[in-house]
Amino acid sequence: MANFILPFLIIFLFIYAAFKRIRVYDSFIEGIKDALHLVYSIFPYLAAIFIMVSLFRISGLSGFLTKILEKPLAFFGIPSELTELILLRPFSGNGSLLILEDIYTKYTPDSYIARAASVIVGSSDTAFYVAAVYFSESKVIKLRYAIPAALIANFVGIIASCILCRFM
Amino acid sequence: MNALFLVIMVISIGILTVVSPDSILGIMIDGGKSALELSLKLTAIYSVWLAILKIVEKTGLDKKIVSLFEPVVDFMYKDENNRAKAYISMNMTANLLGMGGAATPLGIKAVSEMNRDANKRTATTNMIMFFVINATSLQFIPATVIALRAAAGSSAPSDILMPNIIASVLSAGTGFLIVRIISSIKKKREV
Repeated sequence: MANFILPFLIIFLFIYAAFKRIRVYDSFIEGIKDALHLVYSIFPYLAAIFIMVSLFRISGLSGFLTKILEKPLAFFGIPSELTELILLRPFSGNGSLLILEDIYTKYTPDSYIARAASVIVGSSDTAFYVAAVYFSESKVIKLRYAIPAALIANFVGIIASCILCRFM
Repeated sequence: MNALFLVIMVISIGILTVVSPDSILGIMIDGGKSALELSLKLTAIYSVWLAILKIVEKTGLDKKIVSLFEPVVDFMYKDENNRAKAYISMNMTANLLGMGGAATPLGIKAVSEMNRDANKRTATTNMIMFFVINATSLQFIPATVIALRAAAGSSAPSDILMPNIIASVLSAGTGFLIVRIISSIKKKREV
């Protein structure tokens, strides 16, 4: 049922546009030009974050920080198996999906660790990446308290995920 | 961001200089390569969504979506202009429907529209609110995660749905409260 909603909406949109005498093809092209422009303006931010994350992981710095963070996170009821995921989650979406897959193979996908990890990834987002991308087209450079607020909010979500998966 | 970037770069490269100095450039270029690969993917996704969006805007359907979300948007974002409100509403729609590919370009456009009147270099409270809500993920159905679990052989890949929705609401709610509290404290100080 849900599979039909989107195609149906698109057909409806095209016919509705034609009724309103809108040049559908020309508008389509205009939209794609917007897309190119958009990717052009977010690419520098993407490249910088990816280069940083690449060095961060391979240099072993992320592994080192993971070890340090294990104890304080355990205080909040977060198992140490999830530390690396939580550390990388704000920076890299692809990176956290890779770690998630590792967790699935290591602990089986129906274990507590795997389920908590799934909910952590599903209910949070890559704060640094979102910040870079969302503000890329505006002239804003001072984000004030935006990133700390997002990180704290996501951390509350992480603690909740670990608790909820114990009984749900 | 500048301080964080500097610290991570210097320490990482410092470690690698000791461990394996020859690998540094390769690692950096690999990072650039994955950014390029992602950009190509994004170009394809945004081409489709922004082309559709352009037609939505020309038909004026976006204004109808706005009136649907107006009460919520007005409650969360004080005194925002109409064009920004349109993008905020469509971003919310895309997020709730689980269309992440459409949500991002709409979000970028929303933030640029929010800045159109002010044209400032400092983020407004509305921008921070919008960013925090998006950075805590409004997507109630984590399609990618469920697909990965299914691929890994889970017996009930979507049994994380309930905890996921509760955790999403809790984190978005926390973000909303943090932004509200900080902005009201700031306002009191100014008065």
